[in-house]
Amino acid sequence: MSPEPLLSVRNLAKNFGGVQAVRDVSFDVKAGSITGLIGPNGAGKSSVLAIVSGFLAPTSGSVHFAGEVVSGFSAYRLARRGLVRTFQLSSEFERLSVIENLLVAAPNQRGERLRDALAGRWRWRDEEDAAVARARELLARFEIPAKEDDLAGDLSGGQKRLLELARALMAEPKLLLLDEPMAGVNPALIRRIEAHLLALRDEGLTMLMVEHELGVVERLCDPVVVMAQGQVLSSGTMAELRMNEEVLDAYLSG
Amino acid sequence: MSSSMQFYVSNLLVYLGVDVMACLGLNLQFGVAGLINLAFIVFQAAGAYTASVLTLGPSSSMGGFQSYILGAHLPFPLPLLAAAVVGGALSYIVGLIALRRLRTDYQAMVMLVISLIATTVVTNATGLFNGSNGLALIPRPLQSVLGLSPVGYQWFYVALTFACTILVWVVVRRITGSPLGRTLRAVRDNDAAAASLGKNVTQMRLIAFVSGGAIAGFSGAILAQYISAWSPGSWLFPESFVYFSAVIVGGAGNNMGAVVGAALVPVLFLEATRYIPQFGYPGLVDALQWVVVGLLTLAVMWFRPRGVFPEKTRRFARTPGSEPTP
Repeated sequence: MSPEPLLSVRNLAKNFGGVQAVRDVSFDVKAGSITGLIGPNGAGKSSVLAIVSGFLAPTSGSVHFAGEVVSGFSAYRLARRGLVRTFQLSSEFERLSVIENLLVAAPNQRGERLRDALAGRWRWRDEEDAAVARARELLARFEIPAKEDDLAGDLSGGQKRLLELARALMAEPKLLLLDEPMAGVNPALIRRIEAHLLALRDEGLTMLMVEHELGVVERLCDPVVVMAQGQVLSSGTMAELRMNEEVLDAYLSG
Repeated sequence: MSSSMQFYVSNLLVYLGVDVMACLGLNLQFGVAGLINLAFIVFQAAGAYTASVLTLGPSSSMGGFQSYILGAHLPFPLPLLAAAVVGGALSYIVGLIALRRLRTDYQAMVMLVISLIATTVVTNATGLFNGSNGLALIPRPLQSVLGLSPVGYQWFYVALTFACTILVWVVVRRITGSPLGRTLRAVRDNDAAAASLGKNVTQMRLIAFVSGGAIAGFSGAILAQYISAWSPGSWLFPESFVYFSAVIVGGAGNNMGAVVGAALVPVLFLEATRYIPQFGYPGLVDALQWVVVGLLTLAVMWFRPRGVFPEKTRRFARTPGSEPTP
């Protein structure tokens, strides 16, 4: 018997004025999987991701995460429950240093509260030291060549991708939503990021990933959900989908 | 030093302290949290009025030559503390309306409108703070108790102002140097990314806005108690731009920059030049002061866009033994 899915999306719909961007989308993300979400441009993938991560409110339908109905929760509340997303465009804090970018993401910091900040460093020093140590571990793991004190805004596109991944992990997610993590990344770095994502999955992290590079999807994702025109067309392994006429017509051969 | 020179210098030093406090408050809102508060001067004025009507006796006691609310006749330092509370509370109300849903560029426009509305309301609601004539004869703190000579009291007030400035510096430093300050800067750089990492963006902006507003109110109280008068003409919306110029010239996001900016723009260029001989048509010198401030701001943005003291990131010491192996 398969365990309860970590994330279930049920009958999700989103209208923008008269445009139905998402209509009746349902799928599950099993704990420990990397689930792929693919489809042509305008299929509604990004809207689904935005709804699941709390950046858009659904018109109807529900999202269940870790046994709780979370649809309509704002992004920061979802993140505190362990549902963390990354962005298609680089979204580093450009005037913060590399290590500060990671430190921001540490959850539940005492020094973020006004009264503890005003009380002085002794209130949050120990916690901060622990966060710095963890941030350095992550920077070493992802082999970001920049120095920790460099401004994040000065990094190359590829390094920003790695930084964003490391920063998301610093937030201690249960489910990581990846919005085209390979966009604008060179092939060698794509292979490195793939290896990182597989290693994270083996450590128990669950991921839902929107990606256009089908080779990447084939190597990483199982299962894969195909969307077209705001609806789920099919789902299964990439090998199964390649033999599905409907999917071929809508996306793969297009 | 001749006594007129002593008055001139001590006067400048009080203005320096007040402007440094204000710039530290605005820098917290604008430089650190990215909030374009074009109504900053309104919160300073709110503090000034609060301290004034709490220090003055009842409105009827002076033959009714000016009318205002309260007239509580409270002793020092209660009016100063109340000014900070009112500055913060007013910021909280404005912030709840303006900071929740709007993008920062639209927030800026809302603030500018609030500044114009506030001036109109206070000028026309004459029962509130005596309208456009403003308040006068506000008792100066401890003046009757200390029994100092006029020059002596000037220097006492300089010391009081500097003590308050140091207090504000410590408060602001503790915020900007803590994880709270770091998260505020993160929200400024990318609010969506901050939200996706569990940061309550609205709450963070409110913290910066209210803290900065409380500091603004406090600085306004120090100024109004010093000149013992306060009227709408001294807090029109261009005054907010003076503080913005100061923070941009000094270096947005850097507290030392706010101090230097305050010394340069409002004090050196606008206040210290008050007594230079007039020439040309009446008002030409005043107009030239504004031209100089504008040119200075343009020059800094062109040649040193991040200000005299650019924002700094924090560095973290490595404990012995934790050095990464090459």
